[in-house]
Amino acid sequence: MERRKYPLYFSFPALFVFLLFFIAPTLIGVYYSFTDWNVNADSISFIGFDNYKALFGEPRLGKALSNTLIFAAAVTLLQNAVGLGLALLMNEAIRMRNLFRTIFFMPYVIAPIVIGYVFRAIYHPEHGIVNEALGWIGLGALGQDWLNDPKWALFSIIATDIWRVAGFAMVVYLAGLQFIPKDLTESASIDGASYWRRFRHIVFPLLAASFTVNVLLSVIGSMKVFEMVMVLTDGGPGYTTEVFYTYIRSTFSMGQMGYSTAINLVLFVLVTVVGVPVLAALKKREVEM
Amino acid sequence: MEHPGRKAFVSAIVFLGALVILVPFYMILVNSFKGIRESALFGMGLPSTWNFDNYKEVFDKGNIMRGFKNSFLISGLVVVCVTLFASMAAFVIQRRDDRFMRSTYLLFIMGLIVPVSIVPTIRLMGELHIRGTYFSLIMYYTAVLLPFAVFLLVGFMKQIPRELDEAALLEGCGYFRLYWRIILPLLVTVLITVTIVVMVSVWNDFFGPFYLMTDSTKWTIVLQIFNFVSLYNTNWGIVFAFMVIVISPDPARVLAAAALHYRRFDGGLGQGLTNTGGKNDGWTSARRIDERGWRHAQGSRGRRREMDTARTHSAYPMGTLRSYAGGRSGGRPGRLRACA
Repeated sequence: MERRKYPLYFSFPALFVFLLFFIAPTLIGVYYSFTDWNVNADSISFIGFDNYKALFGEPRLGKALSNTLIFAAAVTLLQNAVGLGLALLMNEAIRMRNLFRTIFFMPYVIAPIVIGYVFRAIYHPEHGIVNEALGWIGLGALGQDWLNDPKWALFSIIATDIWRVAGFAMVVYLAGLQFIPKDLTESASIDGASYWRRFRHIVFPLLAASFTVNVLLSVIGSMKVFEMVMVLTDGGPGYTTEVFYTYIRSTFSMGQMGYSTAINLVLFVLVTVVGVPVLAALKKREVEM
Repeated sequence: MEHPGRKAFVSAIVFLGALVILVPFYMILVNSFKGIRESALFGMGLPSTWNFDNYKEVFDKGNIMRGFKNSFLISGLVVVCVTLFASMAAFVIQRRDDRFMRSTYLLFIMGLIVPVSIVPTIRLMGELHIRGTYFSLIMYYTAVLLPFAVFLLVGFMKQIPRELDEAALLEGCGYFRLYWRIILPLLVTVLITVTIVVMVSVWNDFFGPFYLMTDSTKWTIVLQIFNFVSLYNTNWGIVFAFMVIVISPDPARVLAAAALHYRRFDGGLGQGLTNTGGKNDGWTSARRIDERGWRHAQGSRGRRREMDTARTHSAYPMGTLRSYAGGRSGGRPGRLRACA
């Protein structure tokens, strides 16, 4: 059958919406990032690289950059570790397995902003569960003001996000585990391979597809974190937990549209630089298969 | 072989993990019935006096029903737009596979990675005179979620044999009929995945309405929470009551998703996401289904045939199955009922 005969116009609705409401704002944004667009000005004028000069002169951008990268790296690593662990546990013959799977998946369907508010209560220095629980097991001295201590604030946000997304990684890994033939692990087990060796040499390599999907989704998703940080710390104390989207929001609410567009563009470049290699790895694997 | 303590150990870890997930939920539930002083302590004990006024107050002041209605309307319409547009696009992108379609696909893939430029989007909506309307938010979400859906659907399209198209076209099917009656039904499993992901992400999103919706009557439930908490942040009891109401449909949604998927859990959310690779040899999906049926049949030896048929039937609609079977046995595909 001739491939060319498949009607091109089938792709038009999707292309139209995508070009108009995604690509167009991105391109317009490039222009506006070189202007002094703000709420007070009557007209918008071109100011060259001034926004970028000011932006790179601010230590705040460096904080946003490093926090976003630390957050993304930590979430990607831990989400996959915890998710894979949960998937392996859920693959064992335990009672009420479906119930537990559902429980672990549950946080993922709840709005991040709600989770943020709940964890604000949980991290409360005096009455929050975390410090209370530490007290019960006799480690009360380890209690912290989790969200207001610059040393712990980012860590607390990361932990909250892991709580939210680990169940999602679990579901993807579980799906991958279903495709591993039981006889493979069983015969390895008869040959005397330990659990770890079976995991290392049989299970994990066969989970490659799930692994790449999970890594890709969490790298991309975690770099765009917004409301979780906004609700928990709003970038504070100081700028110790500032990420790109909270930075954009605060400059936007001060009316500096052109400036916040420039920050958005820096994020664009960052996500592309990190995301494209991960995606290329995924595509490469697709070809190999 | 199996260590006797192993099972207990595994159960203990699972139980602890579940506790970590469930305790926060318990905390908001129990504290939503407490007065202003008691709820601020976030205690785990039952309320000294059960206080239902929190809920009454939330219903009086929270605009809850309007928020739910808006969320439902917007996410429902986005689901329709995304599944329809993305499946149509994925169909021709994968089948034509020429230079234009490849660059289109690449463009969508880029959209999967890069972040939205939100401030210019607000301006664009203004220029188009649709700023603050339901329509603008629906188009925004459709644009943002299309890349993901296209990516997933193109991956899955590879597994639908071209022979099916050929048979249908030989029978005199038009391209639209081919898409609507044959391709779309075969994509149902992935479309369910897409629907769930789109539904959940739109429903829970804060970013979009926060920037794009200025009119409080059009706020989604998530924006209502934000507004409510900023007003009532001194009374945790009321805030918790609001949260309980807001997340109460969520377990229902998880269970609905689970019910759809537990019959073939491996064919669920996760599989849709991992099935992006695979060779373009046409029969992969058929083989997958066989393998799956076989694995299930292993549990009850000797019933493989029955399981096989049952599985295949549940995954594929009747009309297309005929030609499928014909194609597999090597002969010419049988008459396509969908096209008659």
